[in-house]
Amino acid sequence: MHLPSLSFPPLSVLVVLVLFSITFTFATIPLPPPSTQHTSNWAVLVSTSRFWFNYRHLANVLSLYRTVKRLGIPDSQIILMLPDDMACNPRNAFPGTVYNNADRALDLYGDNIEVDYRGYEVTVENFIRLLTDRLPAEFPRSKRLGTDAGSNVLVYMTGHGGNEFLKFQDSEEIGSRDLADAFEQMWEKRRYREVLFMIDTCQANTLYTQFYSPGIIATGSSEVDQSSYSHHADNDVGVAVIDRWTYYNLEFLEGVGVGDRGKTLGELFGSYDEGKIHSRPGVRWDLFPGGETVGRDRLVMDFFGNVQDVEVEGGERAWNESEWREDLKRLKELVERRRRDQQNGTESGRLDVMDAPTAPKEMAEPAKPGAAKVEAGKGWSQQVIGASTILGCILIWGGTSLLDNPR
Amino acid sequence: MRRFYLLFLSLLLAVAATADPQYEEHLHLEPLPQGLLLASFNFKSNATLQSFEQQHFKYIPRSLGQILQHARTKELHLRFSSGRWDAESWGARPWDGKKEGGTGVEVWAWIEADTGEEASLRWITLNHALSGLFCASLNFIDSTRTTRPVHTYEPVGDHSNTSLSNLHLLHGTLPREVVCTENLTPFLKLLPCKGKAGISSLLNGHKLFDASWQSMSIDVRPVCPESRSGCIVEMEQTVDMVLDIERSKRPHDNPIPRPAPADQLICDTSKSYSSSEACFPIDMSSMQSWSLSDVFGRPIKGSCLANDIRGDRSESVCISVPYEHQVFSSQGSVERKDPSSNHRCYVLPENDAFEMALPQQESQAVLPRPSPPLYASRSFTGHGQERGGVQSLLTNPSPNAAVSFTYFETLPWFMKPYLHTLKAQIAASPSQSQEEIIKSIYYRPALDRQRGTQLELQISVPPASTVRLTYDFEKAILRYTEYPPDANRGFDVAPAVIRLHPDPANPSSKAVYLRTTSLLLSLPTPDFSMPYNVIILTSTVIALAFGSIYNLLVRRFVGADEVESFSLAKVKARIKGRFAVIKDRFSMKKEKKTQ
Repeated sequence: MHLPSLSFPPLSVLVVLVLFSITFTFATIPLPPPSTQHTSNWAVLVSTSRFWFNYRHLANVLSLYRTVKRLGIPDSQIILMLPDDMACNPRNAFPGTVYNNADRALDLYGDNIEVDYRGYEVTVENFIRLLTDRLPAEFPRSKRLGTDAGSNVLVYMTGHGGNEFLKFQDSEEIGSRDLADAFEQMWEKRRYREVLFMIDTCQANTLYTQFYSPGIIATGSSEVDQSSYSHHADNDVGVAVIDRWTYYNLEFLEGVGVGDRGKTLGELFGSYDEGKIHSRPGVRWDLFPGGETVGRDRLVMDFFGNVQDVEVEGGERAWNESEWREDLKRLKELVERRRRDQQNGTESGRLDVMDAPTAPKEMAEPAKPGAAKVEAGKGWSQQVIGASTILGCILIWGGTSLLDNPR
Repeated sequence: MRRFYLLFLSLLLAVAATADPQYEEHLHLEPLPQGLLLASFNFKSNATLQSFEQQHFKYIPRSLGQILQHARTKELHLRFSSGRWDAESWGARPWDGKKEGGTGVEVWAWIEADTGEEASLRWITLNHALSGLFCASLNFIDSTRTTRPVHTYEPVGDHSNTSLSNLHLLHGTLPREVVCTENLTPFLKLLPCKGKAGISSLLNGHKLFDASWQSMSIDVRPVCPESRSGCIVEMEQTVDMVLDIERSKRPHDNPIPRPAPADQLICDTSKSYSSSEACFPIDMSSMQSWSLSDVFGRPIKGSCLANDIRGDRSESVCISVPYEHQVFSSQGSVERKDPSSNHRCYVLPENDAFEMALPQQESQAVLPRPSPPLYASRSFTGHGQERGGVQSLLTNPSPNAAVSFTYFETLPWFMKPYLHTLKAQIAASPSQSQEEIIKSIYYRPALDRQRGTQLELQISVPPASTVRLTYDFEKAILRYTEYPPDANRGFDVAPAVIRLHPDPANPSSKAVYLRTTSLLLSLPTPDFSMPYNVIILTSTVIALAFGSIYNLLVRRFVGADEVESFSLAKVKARIKGRFAVIKDRFSMKKEKKTQ
């Protein structure tokens, strides 16, 4: 029996390795909680189901959309993702309308709605890019999550899911680890202060088990191996209109008014009744600084409402008059240059007007890339050319084979 | 005194400069046969080119103006449409089809750029920005959905010769795009009164998207009137819709029609089978009464910026009904009736609601609309998953004049037409040669995953005849990830655009646009769970093969009797041996040191 002789690396290498691993562990230690105060509220509301029979998932999301809008988050700070069109669907007997209750008292689509991602745009890739802000430069503001270290973010997702995954449009899935890593990247980029993550799907609580970034409160509708059920159906719409867990969340949230400083998250989660919801909702507190005791006292309005506290940068810093004068001088220069440009601009503008607008040229050939004109065959001449070419080829082939012949 | 004169002069100049109203709006209502109502909303705002370039925005919204300036777009046309205009029963299209788009979203623009690539980059910037503004997936208009039509579109704005050479026309369509309330919301927010006052207060998603046909359009163009110096930028927004009056009158929360009890039915006794048992309900729709709030759900809430510079209010609402018909309007409005044209127009009250009601009329005559100069329809032919064909029927109803037009089609890259199969025949007399019908062909073939096919034909249809235009195509097979989530629904093919050229012999004829419906192309779709089956099967095979080969390679096979039995003494001896070796090493080192 022969044991391999272990050759130890030199000491210096070991020291470097140890040092490296120490720095590395320091790097992966979560950043200290930001000292910034809560300055803005954002909401990311995602439905992940296409097709008419998933009407209730859109209704879920639109109910939340209506609630956060009612409580004061402006449309510019709500990212709404709707993968299918239910309001103007030909199957909808109520055009331009989505209801979340068979009593049809409340039209969720209303007259004023802004959908940021819709149809085929609702994909796992776009969702993760939205959270982590890895978007191309030409993407408009309304499709970006402009959060910073002072933002409280409400993330609500609904769709069809399973153990540690959620389906997007019945064609792809997001896993719980993808979601956890996306939140970690948000945390590293200081893109949130606190997150309330809500999810309504089958086995929803498995989706947040992998989270490891601080400042997240997560809640879901059902435990592993449990289904989430729909609440009731509307016979004229023809399908179920809302899910149970969302329905009872809304029942509580409808009791919250604008500027309501009383209702806490503890009360919201305490209102969940397993007998009514038909599944066991879960809450995860351990990532939140202070844990459950602090989290329970958080106001519902911290996530569903809108705050407009303003943080003054460098408040204690001494007043710098020279800097102020510099800025003024620079601004003055800019104004001067602008004025000069304008004077030149108006003159050239007048020149432009002198050229009378001419009628566009008729049937002109484009100098730009475009379609080319297809010329029809020239009749006999073209066919003669073709025939003679073929004949020539045959002659050459015949001639060379004759010459090639050794006899 | 002199100062006063100066002040007066400058005031006069200001009045002269703004003699044209900077904002006007207009609603035209016209009943159509079968109990339908055509409502055309038009909003026009303008600003001088100078103020536009200096970003002094008043009626032209800043949100759109800045996008256009950023993307160097000199002229923009954006359309959101759904439904089908039934030309056989409704006649010619409103605005000669110029304010209409194909099903879904259609956008074309003249972009200022030195090169084609630069124009494409700005085009992508423009579409991304517009997608954010209008809540539509315009960002999906990439190179595969973009074309540069040669003859179909011409700038409607006034561009100087020098700038025209730098302008690039780009055109994109999204036939699959749904048009819904989220597109109407930003559309209304561009208006000065934001849908809160004036005729725009009638617009709401519940009625607009219940229409049999609707089209929203936005056109921005520079206009340089010959009489005046100084160009203006004009933005025109229109909404056209065809509403079913009976359907619109149903209550919003209970719109599902329930059958009337048998004793309330009014039967059409002219039917041969009409008896006490069989009843064909008579068509009541064309003779029913209606009012604005019946059809649109609310009356007009006052007027929006209707006062012009002299303080006169302009007529905002017009209706075309036979002269003898009764139309009631609310107090405070002024009616002007024109006996020659069957038009009557109303000046809206400034603050009060305006309501208009048409009682049930004695005569049911609906004013005839002009018939369209051409009927066009397009459909798929053929069968199977591999190939197919397209057939367009183009009918010229005129008994004596030929009609010539440009027929423009953009096809997705996965639909590959064979140009040699392109045939045009006159349905009645197939003998007529093709050269007499198709004057010229402009064609740009598709490149897989890079661009679609562009086909522009100059066609002339002889009087009172139907031309059948056909071609065959092949369907490409997409990659697994290229299929959309609802691949089995099919892929939408953008409508064909037809532009009728004005007849040179007839100076009163105008350019007219019309569009066919979009097509739904079914492609061969794989079984989407198949890759998982393949992965599972391959993994099993590899695990079995790899496992056994690996075992064969690394294991030494020995007989059961050759294996040494385990005993504690042997292990102890081995450990002792190792210790002895290490001890020896240390002692040797010590010896070396002592030496």
